[in-house]
Amino acid sequence: MYSNKPCTYASSFSDMSNVVVLDNGGGLIKAGHGGERDPAVIIPNCLYRPLSSKKFIHPSPTTTEDLTSAAVRRPIDRGYLINTDLQRDIWAHLFSSLLHVTPSASSLLLTEPLFTLPSIQRATDELVFEDFNFKSLFVADSPSLVHLYEASRRPYGLVSKAQCSLVVDCGFSFTHAAPVFQNFTVNYAVKRIDLGGKALTNYLKELVSYRAINVMDETFIIDDVKEKLCFVSLDVARDLQIARKRGKDNLLRCTYVLPDGVTHTKGFVKDPDAAKKYLSLSDGSLPKPLETEKDVGQTEVTNATRDRKRIDLTKNEFDLTNERFLVPEMIFQPADLGMNEAGLAECIVRSVNSCQSYLQSVLYESIILTGGSTLFPCFAERLERELRPLVPDNYQVKITTQEDPILGVWRGGSLLASSPDFEAMCVTKADYEELGSARCRRRFFH
Amino acid sequence: MEDERRMSTRTRKVAPKMAAALASADNRTQAALARLEALENDNAGIETVEINDDDDEASLDDDEEGYTQKRHSKGTKRKTRQAKALEDARKAPRSFLELLHEANLESLPPHVPSYLKAAVGPPSSTSRRYFCTVCGFAASYTCVKCGMRFCCIRCQNIHNDTRCLKFVA
Repeated sequence: MYSNKPCTYASSFSDMSNVVVLDNGGGLIKAGHGGERDPAVIIPNCLYRPLSSKKFIHPSPTTTEDLTSAAVRRPIDRGYLINTDLQRDIWAHLFSSLLHVTPSASSLLLTEPLFTLPSIQRATDELVFEDFNFKSLFVADSPSLVHLYEASRRPYGLVSKAQCSLVVDCGFSFTHAAPVFQNFTVNYAVKRIDLGGKALTNYLKELVSYRAINVMDETFIIDDVKEKLCFVSLDVARDLQIARKRGKDNLLRCTYVLPDGVTHTKGFVKDPDAAKKYLSLSDGSLPKPLETEKDVGQTEVTNATRDRKRIDLTKNEFDLTNERFLVPEMIFQPADLGMNEAGLAECIVRSVNSCQSYLQSVLYESIILTGGSTLFPCFAERLERELRPLVPDNYQVKITTQEDPILGVWRGGSLLASSPDFEAMCVTKADYEELGSARCRRRFFH
Repeated sequence: MEDERRMSTRTRKVAPKMAAALASADNRTQAALARLEALENDNAGIETVEINDDDDEASLDDDEEGYTQKRHSKGTKRKTRQAKALEDARKAPRSFLELLHEANLESLPPHVPSYLKAAVGPPSSTSRRYFCTVCGFAASYTCVKCGMRFCCIRCQNIHNDTRCLKFVA
């Protein structure tokens, strides 16, 4: 396997901290050396096969492939690692050619989702110790790492003083509301919604495919559309009315141009300024009519000139109107989709209610948002608006957003890996061989 | 999804199979669940793609194996096709839901937190907004055949022409 390869990189990295911090997400792998500020490598946790290739290939952070109609294979299903063969393949590539580390000479800090099944834990341990021969392993869960990072950023803030916070992690596979107390996730109070970025992308894919162009195979393009155009509505009824308007009154209509494979291999938003016009809506309850009219007039002029410059691509673009906010809306109201699950605000309330009553007021005051799906504009505002009526009057609600929600977990891991007693917390390979997976796992108190 | 659909008392003269399909909300629920399940798919057409891939590899392996077996003595036990299929099925990665079923979390005592207990549960309010499946705006009508929602007669026509699945959806 991997360990048979010659250790060419061992010497060059011996002076660095030899803890590999690996946030093994369902969508993105964030990997780097412990103690650094940012992960050295961020790659999608998948293999893909573009149309130009016959084999599934490793995504690389530098080259830009044409990902039109690429097929994807992911080792992670519903947030949990199910395909260890595929994951081994991806990790081997990651460690040898991207991160340049020798597993047998380094420790691994690995994130694992909450409530990982014992069979999956066993498979993960096998992968780490038997296939890659890591020296030692520490398994962390993401909420406690996020808490650790936020507490260290503001040493005098409430999060670090009270040593507790409520981490809302809205990621690729699912959404968790997890209270953290003294760096341990309070596991009996964790609540989960089975909706994440992947489901949202697939939902948008379905809507666009039915209403405009068939894009069922274009996972990467629709991901891009979602990231660039979707936003969280602060008033769904009002925005639906606006989306219904025709012509220039419709502040929400937006055109996305699909790649044509000749002049551009990446899709783009036709008029990025128009795409941001909804922001003028979110401030007040109603936009000032004069101002917006002027705005619209100007952009239309620029639109017209731009359109003249551009080749006619009528068949390669589609309009989005209400899809832009109805897709992220699902996280707040999964019932809209026919899912029998409560929305995010209620999820938070249930999570807090299952905690000790002394903790509750502090938890509402230290809500931390993390995960890629919280990057939708206005996410925090909407959450606060929905949460406020559900929380008792005498409690304050304060929602903190992370400066980089995708990397928050990794940074916490990097911090933990550089702490002096990290090595003592790890399970070594000898421990693993002596005790086996299940008993080693007890050391992590999950 | 819609358990308490109001049914008319008029006796319908339809084939028994159709009547069963109409009477049970089950089909619709199943279709709705399937639609939700599809949201977790990686690729729209992965099944066909992956099976083809595996077949190619498998057939290659078969050839190689057959070749080596021919060259070597017959002493080694020859794998039957069935045994090989069983082994492949054992080796193939199982989906998370299968693993979850296997873990038998229901048997844990009630105070132990687990994947199943962490689920957020149904919403407290039973009211639900409906959006037109065709255009996305608020939908006030339900398709009598399949139960999907639409907002106006134009959308109804589009729905009927494109994806109204009588007795299925």
